[in-house]
Amino acid sequence: MQQNRSTGLLRQILGGFAIAAAVSFTVQADTHTVDTAYGPVAIEGSPERVVTLYEGALDAALASGVTPVGAIITRGGDSVADYIQAKAGDVKIVGTPGETNLEAVIALNPDVILASSRLSEEQYKLLSQIAPTVVPDFKAYQPDTWIKETRLFAEALNQSENAEKVLMRVQERTAEVEKLVAAKIAGDDRKTALIRWMPQGALVMAEGLFSSSLLQATGFDVDDAGIVQEGRPHSRPLSQENLGLIDHQWVFLATLNADGREALETARKSPAFERMQANQNNRIVTVNGQLWTSASGPIAALALLDDIATAVNQLP
Amino acid sequence: MTAATDTKTERASSRLAPTLSPSSPPRGFWLWRFNGAQHSLLLDRRAIAVNSILAILLAFSAIASLASGSLSISVPDILLTLQGNGSTIHSFVIQELRLPRFAAGALSGAALALAGCLMQTLARNRLATPGIIGIDNAATAFAVASIVSTTISLAPSAMALAGAATATAVAFGLAGATGTRGYRFIIAGLAIGAVSGAVTQVMLSGVALDDANAAYPWTVGSLNARNPTSVIVLTVGLGIGYLLSLAVRRGLSTLQLPESVAVSLGTRPGRVRFAALALSVLMTGFAVSVAGPVGLIALLGPELARTVSRPGRIPLTASALAGALLMTLSDLAGRTLLEPLEIPVGIVTALAGSPYLLWILLRKSPDISR
Amino acid sequence: MKLPHYHMIAWLLLAIACLMSLLFGAGSIGPDSALGLLMGNDDPEARFVIMELRLPRLVVGLVTGLALGVAGALLQTLTRNPLAEPGLLGVSAGSAFAVTLAILLGATTASLTTLISQLGALAGCALVIAATRMQGVGQDPVRLVLAGATLTGLLLSLSSLVMLIDQRAADEIRFWVTGSVAGRSWDQLLATLPSMILAGLIIVAVVRPLASLALGEKVAMGLGHHPGLIRLAVILAVALLVGGATALAGPLAFVGLVVPFVARGFGGADIRKTLWLCLPLGPALIVSADTVSRLLVAPSEMPLGVITAIIGAPVLMIIIRSRRIPTL
Repeated sequence: MQQNRSTGLLRQILGGFAIAAAVSFTVQADTHTVDTAYGPVAIEGSPERVVTLYEGALDAALASGVTPVGAIITRGGDSVADYIQAKAGDVKIVGTPGETNLEAVIALNPDVILASSRLSEEQYKLLSQIAPTVVPDFKAYQPDTWIKETRLFAEALNQSENAEKVLMRVQERTAEVEKLVAAKIAGDDRKTALIRWMPQGALVMAEGLFSSSLLQATGFDVDDAGIVQEGRPHSRPLSQENLGLIDHQWVFLATLNADGREALETARKSPAFERMQANQNNRIVTVNGQLWTSASGPIAALALLDDIATAVNQLP
Repeated sequence: MTAATDTKTERASSRLAPTLSPSSPPRGFWLWRFNGAQHSLLLDRRAIAVNSILAILLAFSAIASLASGSLSISVPDILLTLQGNGSTIHSFVIQELRLPRFAAGALSGAALALAGCLMQTLARNRLATPGIIGIDNAATAFAVASIVSTTISLAPSAMALAGAATATAVAFGLAGATGTRGYRFIIAGLAIGAVSGAVTQVMLSGVALDDANAAYPWTVGSLNARNPTSVIVLTVGLGIGYLLSLAVRRGLSTLQLPESVAVSLGTRPGRVRFAALALSVLMTGFAVSVAGPVGLIALLGPELARTVSRPGRIPLTASALAGALLMTLSDLAGRTLLEPLEIPVGIVTALAGSPYLLWILLRKSPDISR
Repeated sequence: MKLPHYHMIAWLLLAIACLMSLLFGAGSIGPDSALGLLMGNDDPEARFVIMELRLPRLVVGLVTGLALGVAGALLQTLTRNPLAEPGLLGVSAGSAFAVTLAILLGATTASLTTLISQLGALAGCALVIAATRMQGVGQDPVRLVLAGATLTGLLLSLSSLVMLIDQRAADEIRFWVTGSVAGRSWDQLLATLPSMILAGLIIVAVVRPLASLALGEKVAMGLGHHPGLIRLAVILAVALLVGGATALAGPLAFVGLVVPFVARGFGGADIRKTLWLCLPLGPALIVSADTVSRLLVAPSEMPLGVITAIIGAPVLMIIIRSRRIPTL
């Protein structure tokens, strides 16, 4: 706390100097700083050559109108996630979530590198010598983490205006879907769980997860029954005896297989799943796990809202 | 059987004999006298030749490692850069990425192979290496704990070292006396390894896939992101460990003889065993804290060294050089084969080493003295 | 023939373990309502939890424990090595690697076929036995285990490569490798039954010759048996058992070590006696470990593999320390 205050003070003083400098040397005033996990990082102008080492960063950059030159692969594929493939175009692959190929990053000669909050310190030290590296430092699995990250990345790219526009668009779309939900589903009929299915039981996704927070925003009442540990994205496999804890009026089932129906049929082979009220009432919604449990960012948010709208529209 | 024992004793006596008759060196050795012939040193010609060749190969591996990657750098440019006259981008790629990575690979490879050579010699079994008996597994479990936990503030590399140390302490504790050939120690290590492996898997199943991905390099062994402090610790540890292992070499080679002979030659078997085991696990710990569990190097390095060295020798230096060579070549392959994706070095060594390993399992005698 | 009293104790243990497994769970159905159901109270919730959830996993636990315990006893007699255990020797790892490959090629953990798992186990088994035969490691128990550990390490690295290539596989595998008997369907259980029965028949045919082989090859040949044929039959039986168990419950370490060890402690080294004792002891171990796994972190469950590893590691040490590695 103490330290925070003093660094904050230091930053204000430095900021004051920066303004003074900007006033006196207007010629090279085009540098802005962003606050990252590793302190303030100075970035020149509006970066054009951007490398994203995180799915949320790729999404945020594209949403802000900047097409990155390099990105990492997503799960289940040899390229970026399906939902964003068309927008990302022929972005160069520079590694996997586990291993970044630093030389491939250098070869792209980036102006700025956008990374995940999980980036290791060793990697940061090397990356930050290649280009200014932006590592977000927000508490994970909170409902607004993705918005904060999007704003940070957009600020780094000097495209805050574009990002705000897209975030507005997400907000509008959320309101639309919320209306749709309100029209189709009664207010006391919206209790929801977001899960993945394992043979030994359900993995319950945290209430603060990106997709959970959007469900919440559209009027669904997401409830993880308090079994997800603080700071974790999902629970340990929940015992089948306790499926009642998450047998809400709605169950969103995220699958990693391309075919959601197949996954649902597999799950239905389990008597405990079959017996769930949500299943009996045909209120299991299968969704793409790549988008719903791995991605984040404005473009993912819009795709996700479309998924919700589609599901709700299918109701009588 | 008797013939084999005879040649072994003969070999041993040929090693010990020169002190008795200093006039002419035995075959394959050079006798070097200095200080007015008061002191003399017996040099193994084959060992010198082998070590020189391995060192030259390692130098070639260094050049190849510095030259190749997403950005090719020519040999003259490398030399320019090393003298400090290269372009900015070359300087960065070589001084910040490739050179430290090569150094970390060479050092950790050397330490692992040296550790492997000591333990193999002690157990007289080419499969007895620190990695296989669970030191690596424990180091991995600790490093993964540091990544997935929200409460542990120690860096993964420090935790890996702590894990190796804990495993060693527990193994020594469980094994009590190190016993004949240190077998109890090996079994204790196996048990610790099995439990650590199970714990690692549980931790990985409890976290998000992204965290599992962050932990991935620590589960297979990788040189992509090293901790500079660990590299320094490894450098110092390897230097001291190498000298100490040269000091226990004589004791170890007499232990290859029947124990009564060894004792009569002035060796204290218990002490030598403990010293060799301790050195072996310490160096493994240092290496694992840099590169993660690349256990196969501890098996393949000494194997290569033994193939080219004089039979019956304990090729410590050659093992270290061979380990460094194999590690750096594997990492070079991992960096360049699937470019731009990197294959972690631990997987390359597993893939490349597996045919050889199967051959050892099925065809070769596990006893290194045969 | 009157069975010795320790047999009664072993079967009693199994009965208690089974009862506990039905009475206790991670959910709200406690011993009182479970007992009520057994007494004839018809509570639909309790009926469902006990009949549809706890009973199937109890049966899966019984089959898995039986298979692993018996496989351990057979392997140990064949290799004359008290440390020969499917998990330590790399047989389970072979099976697990085959499953990993299958997942890479598109299978899911819910749709695994027993056959793939059994083929992997057979390969692992054959490799280890080949190592035993060719190197004469039979005389040196630790060498065999080292060979197994090496094989296991190798197969784990190869599985890691699969996980690097395919993230979906990585995600499925990281839950599968920790072992569990929960949520297996009757279909999956039925799929393993034919091979288990086949293994049983092989064992019945081969147990007497195997006992004579344990006395030495010459004794066995003198009695008119073919040592090579016996070995082949035993390997096949072990592969069928371990492969089936792994397909059902994932790789479970140390069960094949602990069960025959305890059985030998009571019944002596003769395989014919040990096998009879492994029949109740193997299932008793898995079933109780499973019950513990439900209670530790309720409402979730602990992976079964951790519990068996924690039970097994000390036993491994006891074997090493107390007996100076007895030969069988």
